[in-house]
Amino acid sequence: MSWLGPVAEATRRGAMRLVPPVRRDWAEAVWAEAHEVPAGWPRLAWRAGGAVLIAKEGQMGRRIGILLLFAAAAGAAAWGAWPGSPVSHGAAVQSGIIITLALLAGLPLLTRWVLGPPDSRAARWLRAGFYAAILVVLPAQAAIGLFNGAVPRAGIARHIWDVVQSGGVPGVPGSSSGGPDWGGEIAILIFTACYVAVVLALTARRTPVAPATLAIGAAAGLMTGAVMYAVAPVGLNFRYPDRPWHGWAASLCIALAWILVFCAPLAAGVLAGRRCHVPDDPGEASVARAWQGFGAGLVSGGVGALFLTVSGTGTTALLVRSAWVRDWLYHGHYLTASALYGRELYASQDVQGYFLLLFAFPILGLIMGLFGAGTTNVTGPVPDGSGPPGPPGGGGPEPVPVPPDGGRQADAGELSAVGSG
Amino acid sequence: MGSRAEFSPQTLSVLAALCGQPSAWQHGYALARQTGLKSGTLYPILIRLADRGLVEACWEEEPVPGRPRRHLYRLTPDGLASAATALAEAELAKAEPTTTQVRPGARPRRGRGVAAPVVP
Repeated sequence: MSWLGPVAEATRRGAMRLVPPVRRDWAEAVWAEAHEVPAGWPRLAWRAGGAVLIAKEGQMGRRIGILLLFAAAAGAAAWGAWPGSPVSHGAAVQSGIIITLALLAGLPLLTRWVLGPPDSRAARWLRAGFYAAILVVLPAQAAIGLFNGAVPRAGIARHIWDVVQSGGVPGVPGSSSGGPDWGGEIAILIFTACYVAVVLALTARRTPVAPATLAIGAAAGLMTGAVMYAVAPVGLNFRYPDRPWHGWAASLCIALAWILVFCAPLAAGVLAGRRCHVPDDPGEASVARAWQGFGAGLVSGGVGALFLTVSGTGTTALLVRSAWVRDWLYHGHYLTASALYGRELYASQDVQGYFLLLFAFPILGLIMGLFGAGTTNVTGPVPDGSGPPGPPGGGGPEPVPVPPDGGRQADAGELSAVGSG
Repeated sequence: MGSRAEFSPQTLSVLAALCGQPSAWQHGYALARQTGLKSGTLYPILIRLADRGLVEACWEEEPVPGRPRRHLYRLTPDGLASAATALAEAELAKAEPTTTQVRPGARPRRGRGVAAPVVP
């Protein structure tokens, strides 16, 4: 039984890492004190009390809940996206699903080790939202891919399919077209990894981006995404005269979308730059504001693009599967089967455009956000924080989080916990 | 701060144990023996008291052969004042007869008659 001691010690060390650094001394104290307690049941009971303390202080209930929620959501997404037998490029899709879920599970551990865990409600909500969005896009994208690649057996549908697919895609009628698109899958995986890594980094404890900046950016992004969704795919498919939006409503919607694409991250940058509590040194103050503008713009663009991608991809996935969405969007009950099929096929092809937006919006957002925050260097509050008075008892400028001393070492122990995003 | 309503009976027992030797550092097992509390109850109480600045904690400076270093506790000046007040109020409340008006012929209520204390 000589192995029992080292195993127990390793378990104890592992358990201690679950406790936040500020509470770790207390958990260690219970264990240290156990040597004074008479051996046998009293000592066991004493250590059981220590285990309860670790579970409470380590918020084990919350962590296990988040882990189970993520596992359930990831399982549901994988189940929905897993390719069925008609798909000939199943291996590529299966690998894509597995690697995406592994990225979602593993990257929080890495960022937690390097930059610390999320330490604000805004950061946790932002992470949760991004994770939910990716897990929704996964099956929606698979459903669209399956529909898009399924080769009609014959007739007018086959003709439409050839036209929409530019006639160059080989395919066996009744099955899926083409071979495994490894290049596309790898590109999507790299893209997903970059998105998740940036979001995790922006929401970590040791990032200079303040929680209020995240909230401002997310709000601006949601607004932009909602208006863009109203433009497309919901209302303004210019190929068809029977689209829901016409006249001034359509023009207003388009104008608002263009304004928001540029002005929402700009406004977010200005607001974040103004709210940011800056040091006295003008140089450091500029850098602090620039970080807030960068964060607000990037989050605004990313959230906007992801919201649009999720809602657009989700709507299109429903479109190809449920009649009421077809009737709502394209007046499907007035269309012939072939016309409806053509619209569905075009819509499923348009989904690929969202990836362009996912790339372009964040870049545009961070440029506009930086510009917005830069304007606050000229017009914003003076560095001593003497801006407009806030409400008593709080609500003043948001302090920029300062990394705690030795934070990396302190957080290295928390590696075992899956990130709460 | 320091009124009896703020502290549970268990917390009061910990405060009483710490008040017994206000200037001395005490360790967890000694407090557990004095108060009769188990580790799962005692340490959360100590943590909350330390969070409120009523108790200070430190590790033993010199390691003692044969056992790990101990975590030690004592009351801060604020904690001492709060504990003294709370314990005095508790004694007073224990000594005073109940002030609840009882109707003649009313059946006495059974079960927990005291309001649930608030753990700090």
